[in-house]
Amino acid sequence: MKKNKGKRLYWRRLDNSAKIFPISAGKKYSTVFRLSVVLKEKINQNVLKKAVIMALKQYKSFKVRMKSGFFWYYLEENQKSPIIEEEKDYPCQYINPKTNNNYLFKVTYFENKINIDIFHALTDGNSGSVFFKEIIYNYLELMYPEIFIEERRSRKINNTEYDTEDSYVKNYDRKAKSNASSKKAYILKGKKIKLGAVSAIHEIINLEDLKKESTKHGATITQYLTAVLIYSIYEANYKNNKSKKPIKVCIPVNLKKYFMSKTMSNFFSYITLVVNMKDRNMSTFEGILDFVKNDFKNMLKEEEIIKTMSANVKLGNNPFVRMIPLELKKLLVRLSYIEIRKYTTITFSNIGRFGIIGKYQDYIDYFLMLIAPESIEKIKCSSCSFENKMAFTFTSILDDNNIQKKFYNFLQENDIKVEIESNGVLDDISTKVK
Amino acid sequence: MIYPQKLNSKRNNLIVNLGLLIAIILIVINHFFKPYIPWAIIANSGIIYVWIILFYSIKKNINIAGHVLLQTIVLSILTVFIDYQLGFKLWSLDIIIPILIIIANITMFVLTIVSHKNFIKYAMYQLLISLFSILPIILYIENITHNKVMCIIASIISVLNLGLSLILCAKDLKETIIRKFHM
Repeated sequence: MKKNKGKRLYWRRLDNSAKIFPISAGKKYSTVFRLSVVLKEKINQNVLKKAVIMALKQYKSFKVRMKSGFFWYYLEENQKSPIIEEEKDYPCQYINPKTNNNYLFKVTYFENKINIDIFHALTDGNSGSVFFKEIIYNYLELMYPEIFIEERRSRKINNTEYDTEDSYVKNYDRKAKSNASSKKAYILKGKKIKLGAVSAIHEIINLEDLKKESTKHGATITQYLTAVLIYSIYEANYKNNKSKKPIKVCIPVNLKKYFMSKTMSNFFSYITLVVNMKDRNMSTFEGILDFVKNDFKNMLKEEEIIKTMSANVKLGNNPFVRMIPLELKKLLVRLSYIEIRKYTTITFSNIGRFGIIGKYQDYIDYFLMLIAPESIEKIKCSSCSFENKMAFTFTSILDDNNIQKKFYNFLQENDIKVEIESNGVLDDISTKVK
Repeated sequence: MIYPQKLNSKRNNLIVNLGLLIAIILIVINHFFKPYIPWAIIANSGIIYVWIILFYSIKKNINIAGHVLLQTIVLSILTVFIDYQLGFKLWSLDIIIPILIIIANITMFVLTIVSHKNFIKYAMYQLLISLFSILPIILYIENITHNKVMCIIASIISVLNLGLSLILCAKDLKETIIRKFHM
């Protein structure tokens, strides 16, 4: 972040990945994700507000607002206080900066739950979870100052360093060639929920059971869940619609595992599994799992990841693209995005384990992650785990939950314990799943 | 239970609906009484003006320089439209627009003196107002308007205003240009 003399506010450019989000986002395509924590006690609003303000002092990269330049948007220091409210909207809704003191994230609470909705232009799930954990630590320390005296002190000493560099530009390969698939994807069929509602169904999975089952098949948890998801889509939506298009699953990848980076800005890429359901063995779960395992192995190689990442960086760095005025960029991107989005059936993001320090764990029940669905990708999936609970979430604008039900039944049939939580939008159906 | 029972999804468009209703009533009245005078169009352009200003003003902590710019542009368009509806005798271009530009520049002049330490917030609007202030000269050169005096007064005041901004806040202006035009 660039610091200016006197009273001038900090500002920084958007990272390569973030550039696209404010240009393409709107009420129907929010590009917002949510992280939630369910505590074992009711939330105190005033304490939560103090916790957020404290976290903003630690992570100044979140204390920003979006400003528009002539060619690109940029981030500028926000001098206002964040607004903390009781939850009253559907999850992952477009964050209107004007009603949110210009912040690009929104903290809400409901009973035992704290939510943070984050606009993707600000950061990705991985760095978002770091900021969210800071809020949780601050909240618990403020609630129980005597219990957390030691922890608070050691956290202050051991605070990890971070920056806001654009790690994409630093690590991309100019010569790498794109490996993107040119085939359009199968788009989930079905009526949409009315009145702009979003359904959230959380399948809280017993992690031990899940580990046992995926190890039995020689797969990782992400591979196993991806295969179950594809199988559920095939059985509950694809089979009856006689499509020839492949099911394409987009899986975000945390690039910090591949490159040294301390950035709190976006630093992720993705792999896309292209599953041709007409191929041999693809109508069985075992066939799908074998395909997923093999594809993960090939696509998660460093050179493949670099290819995808570099293609996106090259596009953002293209002198011609850079010279197009922002308003024209918006128009072009929004038009082209209608087509681009047809290349993915569903997104599944697993941000993995929420590592929480010692004593703090006693106050936490589980974590949730949600991604905003949109008119073409009508369902988006996400998961995260804490202790022995893995929360697999379906956020959907489809007016039926056949896929969710199939997914749930499949896990149950394979002796994996699952509990359901939902926001009640598809209430009659979600209670049936129970 | 981890979600509230009733989630909010409806949006209230009361101001738009009310304005729309008034606009339709005016057109109907105009149609049946004195249809040869298009007064409903002029009144409706006033409603559109109120909408724009209202929606802009509803936003919290609006930048005052942004307001000056918006009022200058919207009022200019409104007066040209009314002038056009009443036979386009050019009073909007000859008198009103130069006066609006003079007022905008004097306001920015005062704003720069009073709070030049916070000038970076106003810098972009200052540049846009200066750009808009060229309009009377262009209109005069192109022989569209003929009021030389008003044109000269407006131009002198806008040059003085821009000059003052450059003297007091050149660094802020440069910084703003770097931010806004980074590629």
